[in-house]
Amino acid sequence: MEDYKFLFKVVLVGNAGVGKTCLVRRFTQGLFPPGQGATIGVDFMIKTVEVDGEKVKLQIWDTAGQERFRSITQSYYRSAHALILVYDISCQPTFDCLPDWLREIEEYANNKVLRILVGNKTDREDREIPRHIGEDFAQRHGMYFLETSAKEAENVERLFMEIAVELMEQAKCKELPKYDGNLGPINGGVSCRIRFFVYIFLIRKLLQ
Amino acid sequence: MMPARKMAHRACFFVSRTVYLTCCCGCCSALRPRYKRLVDNIFPASPQDGLVKSNMEKLTFYSLSSPEKLDRIGEYLFQKASRDIYRRRHGFVIIAMEAMDQLLLACHSQTLNLFVESFLKMVQKLLESTDPQLQILATQSFVRFANIEEDTPSYHRRYDFFVSKFSAMCHSNHGDKNTRDKIRLAGIQGLQGVIRKTVSDDLVENIWEAQHMDKIVPSLLYNMQSAEKYETLSCMESDGRDGVEEQPPRLAEACLRELVGRASFGHIRSVLRPVLTHFDRHDLWIPTDFAVHTFKIIMFSIQAGAGRGRGRVRAARATVLSNIVAIAAGESVGPSVLEIINNLLTNLRTSVARDSEKETDEKLYQEALINALGEFADHLPDYQKIDIMMFIVNKIPSGARGGAGKATRADAMLQGILLKSLLKVGTTYKTTELSKAFPAAFLEALLRLSSASEPSTRVLLQRILHTLLDRRGNAPHLATPTVDYAELGLTVEKCSRQDLIFISKHGYAIFSSLYDGLQLESNTVENIEAIYTTLALLVIELGSEETVCDVMQLILAIQQSGISNPVISVSQQCQLQAVSLSLATLLPHVMMLPRVADYLNKIVEARREEAIHLLPPVLEDYPHLSPTKMPSKLPFLMIDQMALAECLKACGIESSRLQSPSPYTPGGGISLAHRHSWVEAGATQGRDSLADITAGPTTEMDSANSSPGVQRHPMQNESVSLEALRRAANGPSEMERRDAERRKATLNNAFRTAPFGHLVDLTQPKYEVKDKLEELFNSISEEPLLPVSGSCSPGTQTKSYQQNVPPYTKYFPELFLY
Repeated sequence: MEDYKFLFKVVLVGNAGVGKTCLVRRFTQGLFPPGQGATIGVDFMIKTVEVDGEKVKLQIWDTAGQERFRSITQSYYRSAHALILVYDISCQPTFDCLPDWLREIEEYANNKVLRILVGNKTDREDREIPRHIGEDFAQRHGMYFLETSAKEAENVERLFMEIAVELMEQAKCKELPKYDGNLGPINGGVSCRIRFFVYIFLIRKLLQ
Repeated sequence: MMPARKMAHRACFFVSRTVYLTCCCGCCSALRPRYKRLVDNIFPASPQDGLVKSNMEKLTFYSLSSPEKLDRIGEYLFQKASRDIYRRRHGFVIIAMEAMDQLLLACHSQTLNLFVESFLKMVQKLLESTDPQLQILATQSFVRFANIEEDTPSYHRRYDFFVSKFSAMCHSNHGDKNTRDKIRLAGIQGLQGVIRKTVSDDLVENIWEAQHMDKIVPSLLYNMQSAEKYETLSCMESDGRDGVEEQPPRLAEACLRELVGRASFGHIRSVLRPVLTHFDRHDLWIPTDFAVHTFKIIMFSIQAGAGRGRGRVRAARATVLSNIVAIAAGESVGPSVLEIINNLLTNLRTSVARDSEKETDEKLYQEALINALGEFADHLPDYQKIDIMMFIVNKIPSGARGGAGKATRADAMLQGILLKSLLKVGTTYKTTELSKAFPAAFLEALLRLSSASEPSTRVLLQRILHTLLDRRGNAPHLATPTVDYAELGLTVEKCSRQDLIFISKHGYAIFSSLYDGLQLESNTVENIEAIYTTLALLVIELGSEETVCDVMQLILAIQQSGISNPVISVSQQCQLQAVSLSLATLLPHVMMLPRVADYLNKIVEARREEAIHLLPPVLEDYPHLSPTKMPSKLPFLMIDQMALAECLKACGIESSRLQSPSPYTPGGGISLAHRHSWVEAGATQGRDSLADITAGPTTEMDSANSSPGVQRHPMQNESVSLEALRRAANGPSEMERRDAERRKATLNNAFRTAPFGHLVDLTQPKYEVKDKLEELFNSISEEPLLPVSGSCSPGTQTKSYQQNVPPYTKYFPELFLY
């Protein structure tokens, strides 16, 4: 039902194949899709949760990890309230890319955006990145940290709930970046164009 | 017995904010507001039955008669639908949406705003569901809404969710291909709707902002690139074929065309930027067919394109550009022509600036850009080509020796690149009349560059002259000096009167610049040969009795410099001898000069016997040259001025001028002083040309005549012949008129076609007083002072030439606008 009090936009980013889509599916639909294909562009899910008796609607934008979609995914960072940066604990390269992701976030997202580092796939036996390494990294860069398993439904609910709680608190303190009031500048080129046409028109008249 | 209704009642009990009383289900119906009852009644007992038509009519009638209730009706419908979505009773959701659609269409535009808010909330709600069917349904409703023209748009309405969601739908990855295509189609249609809704009105959301364009454009392109083949034919007009609505690639293409078509001049950039990024990201530049296809589509709707990027990709892009500029050139008028050229040049300049990074890639890129430029020019009418060449020439940094300070390496490179561009454009130009191919300012700029410090630059410049001079395809035969012209199959035609006027006006400037070009220490064989070709072409194109003496004088001067110029090496001296004799032997092939031919043949034979090194081909080096074989030691193998004059006379040519002292002197530095002394020792000349410069031509500004101290004294020279006087009286005025007209036309044209910024630049004073003075003084000393044709005095002739080309108009054309 539509009587939610808060609407937050959450964007998931991270390398291809770290399990972003699975996290979202687990949270919104309660299932783990085996053999989930690579996301193309952006996917969208919605989930309404309750925090302190108030309804909070989470718009979840699940971005493609593949490099080639980077330009369109970047355009979704801008209006995000929370960014979930995901890596795969059993895959060192996905962890090594984190600084690059942070740079992207730095460049395209609002600087007040809530950032959460998530190490996914804790169900895997072949862990490559110990928990404390991830924790350290998150701490150094001022991020929240959580390890999850979309497959075992471990910490997934908690991840999104904590985001909702945190964002709601921010919203109540009015720290939340506001996206709805920012009317873009009305096209500044207009007067210049008009001047140009008037000028050309005059010249043509004069030269006739 | 009517579960749906009961449910609705109960829900109403929870949700409605206008609850009058809390009561049990049985009796609340009577107490409910009328609009709620009407809304409830449109839902059938079972969703399979569909909307209850008669009740829907009642609701419509009610909402039309009491439009103030519309917002509540909308809100109530929305509440019901939300609940049905939550409970996954999609049948009812569809019915609710249908009802909303009907209400929307029935509403009068004034009351629409009341309803639209809940309508859009409904659409959003449906889009948020995971069910493809609902998403598609919502899109259809949205499109229907987008096609309604509202006359009072809502300022606070926001579309960013729709843009985000529709873009996501465009990338649908649904397992079932059929469904996937449907979702993607819906996404594209939705985007189309958003564009239609927002584009026409600046007050609603600005769709051109990066945050929207970065989603819309890649979504469209992503769908387009999945097409199996790109039918370029369909670029010609918007796609009128069947089935556009059924294939995502084609619908996306149509949508892109619409988007670009609706973009105003200033907004094109916001479309192009994401296009370029997308091509980078998805590696779509190579192979180029998709890029060409896409840019063709774009170019058919707009007129100008631009690009930035990296190395190879940039080169590929430029290739694309060179493919599409042809279209642009065909279509474009006005500012876009110079705009495009300027854009290409700017790209070239930045490319040169970063040339250090990756040599080959950058070279490829530059080449592609130059090709683009040539391709573009090729599709323009000839008069515009000249404009473009002038435009390019003005962009070339004058790293010439005359300029202050040394030209930097980058400057020299830029010079080379721009000259290459110029050459490219020049080759597309088909010369008919020399005076049209070489407007005074253009010629002057070219000649100024002919003394550039870089030998390769100078060769390029000569190539430009070749392509512009060579009207009869002789240039390939004349690539290297020779004395055997009979075999070459040269095409020679009689020189036209216009060309004679041209050469009499600019001949000296051209000749002396070529002469100076031959005297440079840094010359390679290539330089020498290139200049030879230019001269040979000039001889062929302009061979006539009037010019033969000038040419001979030049040839003799070259020969003389090959003996006496202390700066150049012995090898170069030999080269010059070969060149001068080659040129001389060419003359009899152009004209009937049997005696001259005989005389020159003797020299050729003699050289063949005794000094083969003074004959072509010219070599880079002449090793083991014994001192006795130095050109300076072999006076008897030289063309003799007196003997030549005799031969000419025997052929009926007035050759007295050949006897006069040569105006050419080796060594650029000293030549200035010499030239001064040559022209008319002293004051008259100085004052005269100064007067010309400061007062300007009488035809242009009458007020100049009233300025003190600018009267022109007719030259009191005894050698003025009747013929010369007549020419001075008639010729110049005709020429002047033509010239003035041409200038006026160029100026008009420039102001019609130049981009605004360029015009502003033009009309703003560019010169500081000091610079201006410097310019003036330079022009005094460098003003082409012609050797006269016929027997009239240098003074008069010179003066009239200068009138035709007042430096003034060249430097300050803007003054003549007002």
